[in-house]
Amino acid sequence: MSVEVRIDPTLCRGHAICALFFSEGIELDQWGFGKVTVAVADTPRDVRRARRAASACPNGALVVRDRARRPAGDDARP
Amino acid sequence: MTGPVGLGPAVGNHRTSDPLLPEEFGRSAPGRPWVGGAGDPGALVLSGPTGTDPEGLVDHLARWGALPGVDGSGVRALLRASGLDGRGGGGFPLARKVETARLAVGIPLVVINAGESEPASRKDRFLCATRPHLVLDGAALLATALGVDEVVVHLHRAPGSPVGRLEAAVAERLRHCADDPGWRLSAGPDRYVSGESSAVAGFVDGGEARPRFTTLPLAVAGPSGRPTVVSNAETVAHLAVLARTGPDGWAARGVPSSPGPRLVTLAGAVTHPGRVLELSGAATVGDALLADGVVAPPAAVLIGGFAGTWVSGEVAWQTPFTRDALHCVGAQPGCGLLGVLPHGACALTETARIVSYLAGESAGQCGTCVAGLPRLAHAWAGLARGDLRRRGVRRMSALGDTVEGSGACGHPDAVVRLIRSTLDTFEDDVVRHLAGRPCRHADHPPVLPVPDPACRDGRDDPGMWR
Repeated sequence: MSVEVRIDPTLCRGHAICALFFSEGIELDQWGFGKVTVAVADTPRDVRRARRAASACPNGALVVRDRARRPAGDDARP
Repeated sequence: MTGPVGLGPAVGNHRTSDPLLPEEFGRSAPGRPWVGGAGDPGALVLSGPTGTDPEGLVDHLARWGALPGVDGSGVRALLRASGLDGRGGGGFPLARKVETARLAVGIPLVVINAGESEPASRKDRFLCATRPHLVLDGAALLATALGVDEVVVHLHRAPGSPVGRLEAAVAERLRHCADDPGWRLSAGPDRYVSGESSAVAGFVDGGEARPRFTTLPLAVAGPSGRPTVVSNAETVAHLAVLARTGPDGWAARGVPSSPGPRLVTLAGAVTHPGRVLELSGAATVGDALLADGVVAPPAAVLIGGFAGTWVSGEVAWQTPFTRDALHCVGAQPGCGLLGVLPHGACALTETARIVSYLAGESAGQCGTCVAGLPRLAHAWAGLARGDLRRRGVRRMSALGDTVEGSGACGHPDAVVRLIRSTLDTFEDDVVRHLAGRPCRHADHPPVLPVPDPACRDGRDDPGMWR
């Protein structure tokens, strides 16, 4: 079980709560906006913490997506 | 790009296996370096009228003949065989976008991006204004490739926008071209980031013309949920041409790594700023400038648009305008802009104007872009004035590292790239500016046509983006 972790920068307002819950996967820049450092969480602990961080974001900016359900053609990036 | 491709009899009326183009497509031998403007003998995409008047449907068909009756798989074979890459800036192969959209779920949405938000670029405007039917032919072919019956042509609401020309061309086609898809013209806000493909796709879908954060490529699922193919106007014009000449003949106008001819726009210290030229083969930047009467290498050339890179004049002069050759000097074709900086002008001052314009053009969505770009612009303006010291440059570089890759679109990255290329290319000037000595050239009149940073206070106002 592994999940993709991404931050929607258009929604992130720098609350920085995600970095409290998932400190090993997200680092903050000088203004508190998050940057994902672990783009794919694959240990159960990381997955759990990433999910918790996502649900804690007041703006819903942290996107945690199951890697199993990848639609066709996802590998291409036009 | 050699040898016959399995196009079948459906495209039988052109000579796919013949590397030489028919006589009416010009006298220059394929693959040879060649540069010319609209209507020059030897031009391919820019063949035809020389002026700025639109070419009517009758003249267009007399010159090019009717569109070959190709079915969807035939057009896709053309795209694959030609290796046509996107000409809006990204350079992504159109064939792959189309294949991805076909694999995805839903009816694809086809958008032709003729917005050309790059302020100094003119090629898309020029094509839409003078050869609208070439663009619309290509759009119709793209619709065929994806099996859809509607195409959206997106433009910006700007002075000089060819929206009227396209409206007239569409009206002409409604009477004569029975096989056309349905046409929908869309006119969006005239903002820099509004030409980004996800912004265009979102606007066409009824939303704001601001870039979007996407977890999936547009060709898999656009803002509407439908697979969305956004293609540049020049790209589809090439498709209309290569459907007639055959993919091999078209590709032979380029080099194997950059197939086909390319359009560039000249800006800055040239004889005719805003002139659009067609380049074939391994024609160099110098060849393009020579064609406009610039006889010696300038101080530097900004290659690929405001989001591009500065290359010193001597180096640029000898560099072929092809993807591989430009990559070797740290540049990319981008939107095809060649911004010429003359000797005696200050590159840092020019860059300061561009950076401050780009900072003001942020869509105001992503935190680092809102917080970082004005600071970068401020620091750079200080460097241009001679107020910045070494520590300030280090701080600016660190700021660039933070900002890069943090946005939903490539806008912040573009600013950082421009800043880095300026620091690299104009090292001596930077040292002089850091020493606090007033730049000898700082009062040179502005060279590149950078729009004035207008009032951007209403950036958060959704009305501005509709």
